[in-house]
Amino acid sequence: MKIQHSLFTRREFLNGLLGGWLGALAATVLYPVIKFVFPPYMEPDKVALLFSDYKDMEPGAVKPFAWGVKPGFIKKKEDGSYLAFVGVCTHLDCNVSYMVDQKKFYCACHDGWYDESGKNIAGPPPKPLRQLRAEVEGESLVVKKEGVA
Amino acid sequence: MGRSLSAWFEDRLGFSAVMGFLRKKTVPLNKHTIWSYTGSAILLFFGIQVVTGIMLAFYYRPTLEEANKSVARIMTDVPLGWIIRSVHFWSASAMIVTVFIHLFSSWMIKSYRKPRELTWMTGVLLLVASLFFGFTGYLLPWDDLSLSATKVGTDIPRSIPIVGEWVTKFLRGGDDVTGDTLSRFFSFHICILPLFLLLLLAIHIYLIQKQGISIPLGVEAGKEKLKELPFWPNFVYREIIVWLVLFGVLITAAVFLPPSLGKVADLMAPAPKGIKPEWYFLFLFQTLKLFPGKIFFINGDTIAVFLIVAAVVLFFFLPFLDNKPDKMKGKVITWLAWAAIAYAVAMSIWSLLT
Repeated sequence: MKIQHSLFTRREFLNGLLGGWLGALAATVLYPVIKFVFPPYMEPDKVALLFSDYKDMEPGAVKPFAWGVKPGFIKKKEDGSYLAFVGVCTHLDCNVSYMVDQKKFYCACHDGWYDESGKNIAGPPPKPLRQLRAEVEGESLVVKKEGVA
Repeated sequence: MGRSLSAWFEDRLGFSAVMGFLRKKTVPLNKHTIWSYTGSAILLFFGIQVVTGIMLAFYYRPTLEEANKSVARIMTDVPLGWIIRSVHFWSASAMIVTVFIHLFSSWMIKSYRKPRELTWMTGVLLLVASLFFGFTGYLLPWDDLSLSATKVGTDIPRSIPIVGEWVTKFLRGGDDVTGDTLSRFFSFHICILPLFLLLLLAIHIYLIQKQGISIPLGVEAGKEKLKELPFWPNFVYREIIVWLVLFGVLITAAVFLPPSLGKVADLMAPAPKGIKPEWYFLFLFQTLKLFPGKIFFINGDTIAVFLIVAAVVLFFFLPFLDNKPDKMKGKVITWLAWAAIAYAVAMSIWSLLT
């Protein structure tokens, strides 16, 4: 079907071509800039620790380890298995400490408290401490994110 | 809303004066107009350097221990870091080439004659700043080649009598090239030189706006009629086309020919074989090599450096030396420009071949 009048003027066509091309060029230039300036997340998928360092822990004891650039805590449960937490407060990202006498995790920034299973019990923290899986694999104690094989 | 917003700013800033000026500005159209594109081309490359330089500075660590490693990280780990570094590397050379073309074209068409002497002189200082940018930037990856190049380059001023030692000490931050040299060069590269260049550029550009683009000698004498092109939008549109072409060539080179990274500089290691400075210093490097150890009782190097400094000074005062550009003197000076280009190119090629 032939239409009587053009859908757009010659000027609009050329402007569209030019503008579209310049827009594509701008996007091509901006893409690497944005990718460069926003680097990918640096957290490791898993961390392998020397099991011998954690073998002789008392049940209920808590020992620190390095989870990438953040602090972590290994806890030996009553049944002998291991649990791991990311030692970062869920309120505003301060590093927490473990109070041995009270068996609680404490965040000094705003007086946040977590019990020994990482659950938030007092102060501003909105969520429990993030848990990680800790499994013995041969001579290593491997700490993994949830969902990592 | 848009109209009253611009009116609000206009009341306080008075920008319409600038826009009005730009609308009235014209560019002379003659056989030499093509060279007027070189100025804004330099600005394009410099702008690219600023943006990519800032981005590189996000990840680069300017200490002796980490510099090389951080550049390796940028090349391999940081998303698209290799292309940002490659563009920075290529745009540096592109900027310096364009500066030389801009300079020689002005020399040939004698744009520096009255009243544009200051434009030329700020231009020469801008050239010096650009070369210093290249020199300081070259050390930053802290690999074996850049360490050696810096050692040689900062040793050359030593041959200048009396002040030489002080210049070398100032550049190196001591007697030798060390981590302190790296910190110093980094400070020069991202802070001191940019401020210096921007100040000179402001004066240079102000003078050009105030005095207009120069008209070549032949046209001035009334042999040809004065043809003009409006700066906005005609000349700006043409400039944008030139920019897009140059940008395309730059990106192509950057993608297919990224720079390499040598191994970490070792202050104890002997100089690597075939050490050479960056291409824009090759002609000077070769010139120095030509001079014998001693001429009569004076150190050959000292004479060479002295001659080079003298040439630069004469170069700086060229508008005053070439005070009769349309007469024989002017023709001789034009011939000298060609001789200088031939010399620099020949010396550079010779340096590359040996």
